[in-house]
Formats: sequence, C-alpha cells, structure tokens
Amino acid sequence: MMTARRRWLVAMAALAIGLAAGAARAAAGPKEIPLTIEGHRFTPAEITVAAGAPVVLVISNKDKAAEEFESRDLRIEKIVPAGKTVRVRIPALKKGAYAFFGDFHPKTAQGRIVAE
Amino acid sequence: MLPTFVIVLREAFEAALLLGIVYTYLQKIGRPQHYRYVTAGAVLGVLASIATGVVVSYLSGPLLDLGPDLVTAGILFLSVAVLTWMLVWMRQHARAIKGDVQRRIDEAESRSQLWVIATVAFVGVFREGAETVLFVWGLLAQAAAGAGWASLIGGVLGVAVAAVVALAIFNGSKAVSLPTFFSVTSVLLLLLAAGLFSAGVGRFQGLGLLPLTGELWDTSWLLDEGSFVGTLLHGLAGYRSRPTSLEFGAWSLYLLVAGALLFGSRPTRRSSPRSGIAREATPSNVHLPS
Repeated sequence: MMTARRRWLVAMAALAIGLAAGAARAAAGPKEIPLTIEGHRFTPAEITVAAGAPVVLVISNKDKAAEEFESRDLRIEKIVPAGKTVRVRIPALKKGAYAFFGDFHPKTAQGRIVAE
Repeated sequence: MLPTFVIVLREAFEAALLLGIVYTYLQKIGRPQHYRYVTAGAVLGVLASIATGVVVSYLSGPLLDLGPDLVTAGILFLSVAVLTWMLVWMRQHARAIKGDVQRRIDEAESRSQLWVIATVAFVGVFREGAETVLFVWGLLAQAAAGAGWASLIGGVLGVAVAAVVALAIFNGSKAVSLPTFFSVTSVLLLLLAAGLFSAGVGRFQGLGLLPLTGELWDTSWLLDEGSFVGTLLHGLAGYRSRPTSLEFGAWSLYLLVAGALLFGSRPTRRSSPRSGIAREATPSNVHLPS
C-alpha cells in the first residue's frame, strides 16, 4: 500500500512539474490585450478576439482592494492583488461570447470576451 | 453587507463542513484526544492562507502569473488524495467498530494515520483561505478609508455562520448512529472529492494544459452556478451548470472508481452480525492502511 502510494505521489509530482513546464512555455507568444480594473469595474467591458487563436489578457488592478478575475465559461480564476498586473492566458476559443466577472465585486465588475 | 457575507460564507463553507466532519469522526471513534491534530491542521491552514495572501500581494511578473494557479491546482488534487484516503480509512473503521475493535487498535498504528486527518483539516481551510484573506484584506482597506464598514461586518458574519455550521454538524450528529454517520459522510465526502477532482481538471482546461472541450449541457436556466444555491452545490458536489465533457468525465470516473473501491467489496459476512463480530474482532482482520 505504502509503495503504491509513494509511486502515485511521485507520478503526480512528475505530472505537476511537466504541466508547470508546459504552462511556462505556453506563456510566451500570443497577442496581449490590456484590461484594467478601476472602481471595481473592467475597462474595456467587452473584448473582441479572433476565434481559434490564444491571447493573453494583461489585467491591471488600479484599486486598493484585491480582485479576482473569474470566468466560469473559461474555467479561469485569477487573483489580481491591489495595484498589481497579472497576465492571464486565454486558450484558443471557438466563436461565441464568454462572460467574466470580478468575484470580489460581482455586481459591478462584469465583462465578456467575444470570439469571432 | 449582504454580498460580502455571501462571498465569505461561500469560501468558508467547505472548510466548516470538513472540520465539522473530522471532529465528529474522531469523537465517534472514541478518539477525542486527537482533536488537536484537526485543530493544528486548521490553524496551519489559517496561517498558510494569511502567508499566501501576503506573499501573493508582493509577487509580480511570471511568479504572480503562474504561481497561484499551480498552488491552487496542487491543493485541489492534494485535497482529492487526502479525502479519498480518509474515505478508505473511515470505511475500514466503520467495519472494525461494528466488532468493537477500536479499543484494540494499537494507538501507535492509528496515530500514523492522524496526519491524514490533519491534512484534511489543513486543505479544507487553505483551499479557499488565501482568497478569503485577500478579499477580507480589501474590505479592511476600504473600511480604513472610511467606507465599507458594513461590508466588513458582512464578511465577519460570513465566517461566524460557517463556524456555526461546523458546530451544528458536530452537535447534530452526536445523536446520529455510527453507521448512519459513516454512510452519510462517506457519500458527502465522495461527492466533495469528485467535485474537487473535476474542478482540478477544469482548472487545467482553463490554464490551457488540457483542451477546452465542448460543454455537455446547459442547466443555467434551472440552477445557475452563480446563484447562492448553485455555488454551494458546486462546492459540495462539483455542480456545473455548463460542464465540459472532460469535467463531467472526470467527475463520473472518480465517483465510479472511488465508489467501487469503497462500496464494491462489501463483505458478505454482514448478513450475519454475530459471526461478523467474531471475525472482525480478530486484530489480524483489521487492515489499517499504513
């Protein structure tokens, strides 16, 4: 039992490292799109991207409070600390609209990505 | 006040549920002296959450871009692992206890398992902890600037209500019989772990490490994931109003495999309680994972 668990843990660790390396590699390249959080709102609230091509959202939080960029459609949750800039990779999307919001201020911080 | 209350309660709910279950579990198997392992795990979870919240605020560049995601995904899969471990352990205890064997189980042998309990408490608190810390921190900053005291009170109330939930589980299940407690919590933990597993897979999809497969169905008209009940159900059982096929596949696969592991090999001797006691009372027949 012990050895099986160890082997499993080692496999999981190897997987995590592989995935980390893959993610690091993938972080370079795609087009960058700025997105600003100010007054608990996103600007621009609507972002148009080309379908089928990954992009990188460069999210700057100008507020004094942390925000969480979240998209249920895209399975992304990303903390953007106060005054910080975070880069979020958006995978290649099919045509359509993908909503996102600020999980800490969901009433005001809303937007969507439109892939065409 | 209400929105912050809901956000904090949502983040703290899972932790409260898990803490309630593990404390009750120890109480049920007659090991209240081990509460401190749970408490230690939970306290470590709080400290780690605060530390992470602080560290994240000072990170920048690629570390901030990628670091939190990897920690989150790692914690998700660690949670699945320890919850599965605890399920297996509880199942074995449930069998043993029927024969009143728990007094014979060697203390040292069971102590080697207590790190699992401590880790369950730790991941339960830490999983959403750093997020909650950053959120409450933001509320504090706003309150300090002269606005948003109501929001801060809402956040504190959220934590308080979560704590009441944990206490309610603990007190409420005292009267519940042992087999019922084990059955109910097994199902709860199984669903919780399945949900976490599929959430981990979803995270990988969001990170682009797994392809973003098409959505299987859309039940947002019935129960939106963003609604209060929807988020609770998402936290409890991995409910998605628009699941991707990979998420649903992961969820079903976990339930199938873990469910078969736990309930599939139900011993036939159950049908005869007397002989069951005799057999199960043999210490060599008690297989604690080691």
